[in-house]
This record gives sequence, structure tokens and C-alpha cells, in this order.
Amino acid sequence: MMIVSIFFIFFILFSVFAENSINEKNKIAHELYEELRCLVCQNQSLLESNAPLALDLKKIVLDKINQGDSKEDIKLFLVDRYGEFILLKPTYSLQNILLWFGPILFLFIGIFITFRFFKRQSKNTEEEIILSKAEENKLKKIIDNNIS
Amino acid sequence: MKKLYAYIPLIVFLILALIFARQLILGKDPSVLPSVLLNEKIPNLNLEKLEGYKLFSVKNLISVESPTLINIWSSWCAPCLVEHEFLLKMSKEHSIKIFGINYKDKKEDALKILDLNGNPFYAIGIDKDGSESINLGVYGVPETFILDRHANIKYRHVGPILEYDMQNIILPILSKLK
Repeated sequence: MMIVSIFFIFFILFSVFAENSINEKNKIAHELYEELRCLVCQNQSLLESNAPLALDLKKIVLDKINQGDSKEDIKLFLVDRYGEFILLKPTYSLQNILLWFGPILFLFIGIFITFRFFKRQSKNTEEEIILSKAEENKLKKIIDNNIS
Repeated sequence: MKKLYAYIPLIVFLILALIFARQLILGKDPSVLPSVLLNEKIPNLNLEKLEGYKLFSVKNLISVESPTLINIWSSWCAPCLVEHEFLLKMSKEHSIKIFGINYKDKKEDALKILDLNGNPFYAIGIDKDGSESINLGVYGVPETFILDRHANIKYRHVGPILEYDMQNIILPILSKLK
């Protein structure tokens, strides 16, 4: 009885452990499927695609996870064969620098141009308001003459 | 200075128009991917034998006297059947060695097609589950790779080779590599 119960406890512990590790692997596989492009239906991820090639690639990803390869290893394996295009999220590399920082760059150019534009306009209005002493006197004279 | 600012939208428009016009005129399909393996040695392929036909491995592609073609095909792939006659033409009339990779096919069907339409291949290897072709970066049959005399990949053609492709792309590259 004792032996049976110990065996039973071990069995439960083992199955819980095994299930956790399966869940962990499935999670990694799921994440990878979402990050990889199906090359047949090119705006779908592997997860969304049912193309035969996508199924083959999913199988390779799963096999490699079971072999103990890391996410990065698997991505590298596929990039070596299909190019960076297979990654739905581009890498942070020098050749992608414009892709990542372009929008911020254009935002700053926009802010700069807007700033210059408004600065120039406010300068123009200020120039109209501030008159020199001579001009003020002249203006006063004109007004006085008109009134009288 | 003020005048220059006024021209910015026009300049941006012209630059964009030029970029779009280039794509429009050159007319390259953006969904067709260039091979990552360009100018690299062909990766190892473990292919199975098709009864009655010569098998090949990467060793057979190294130090050959003229550039070769690798064609990935299948009996269930309609565009492959379309390009079949041009492969035949290239192997018969231009004596080009074409190495065929039979992709995810049934042996009987592959044999039937070769009997029916003729055999353009110098040797054939079977890639039963498509896993070997993935090493080549194949993403849809038919695909054709041009190899130089030392088994370096020089060009990848996605889709069927038709008359135009044969005359204007494949044959010129092959004669340049000779």
C-alpha cells in the first residue's frame, strides 16, 4: 500500500512537471509562429496560415524546440535560408536604422519647420507693433491733423 | 530662403514619383524574394533515389565543366507542367545539365509525368517531406537555381520558366557563367 501510494505521488508530480514543460514548449512555439512570416501568404504569420509550406515550417520550429534549440537559434536558422523577410518584426540592425528611426526623424523635422514658421510669423507681427520714436510722432501728427 | 520652403512639397512629390515610377517601369514583383544564398555554395541535400533515374548529391555539382540548373518540381504542380517543355528544350537543344528535385510528390505520379512528357533531368533526387528544399530557401514550386561550375548559387527563379524567361534570363546568365 505504502509503495503504491509513493508511486502514485511520484506519478502525479512527474505528470505535472511533464505537462508544465509541454506547456512551456507550446508557448515558445506559439510565440515563434506569431513572429514568423508565411512566405506563401506573405502578410500572414505562420500561426494564421494554413499553406503547406507554413505547416512544414511549423513542424521544423516544433522539432527544433524539442531538440532544445532556443528561440534565437531557430530564427537564425530560418533567416539563413529565407532572409530577414521571414521575421515579421525587423531586427534592430544598422541596415534597418531608417525603418526604426525614420518616423522620429521626420517628426523632428516637422517640429523644426513648424517652430521656424511660427517664430517668423510672430516676428512679423512684432515688427508691425513696435514703431520708432520718429514714426510715432509722425503717426500722432497725422491723427491730430485728421481730428482737428 | 522663403522661396525654398515653398518648393519642399513639390520636391518631396517629385522624389516619391520617381521612386514609384522606377517600381512601375522595372515591374518587379515584390513578392518574389531574391535568394539569401546568392553567391554561396549550395547547402547539403539528402535526397532519395527515384527508380530508373540517376540520383545526385551536392558532390556531383562541384567542379563540373559547365554551369548547371537545379529545378524543384512536382507532379501536382500545374506551373511545373507548363515549364516542362522549356526544361526539355534547354536540356535537349542547349545541352544544359538540369538536376531535378522532386518536391513532396508520390513516386508513381512523378514517374508517370516523366514517362508522359519526357525527361529533362540529368539526375533526380526526391525530397519526400520538403525539408531538404527548406535548406535551399524554397517557398513554392517550381523554383530554379542557376549554379556556376563550382556549385555556387548565382540566380534563383521563382515560378515557371516560360519562353521569355528562358531566352532573356536563364540562357544569358548560363552563357555568361560558361
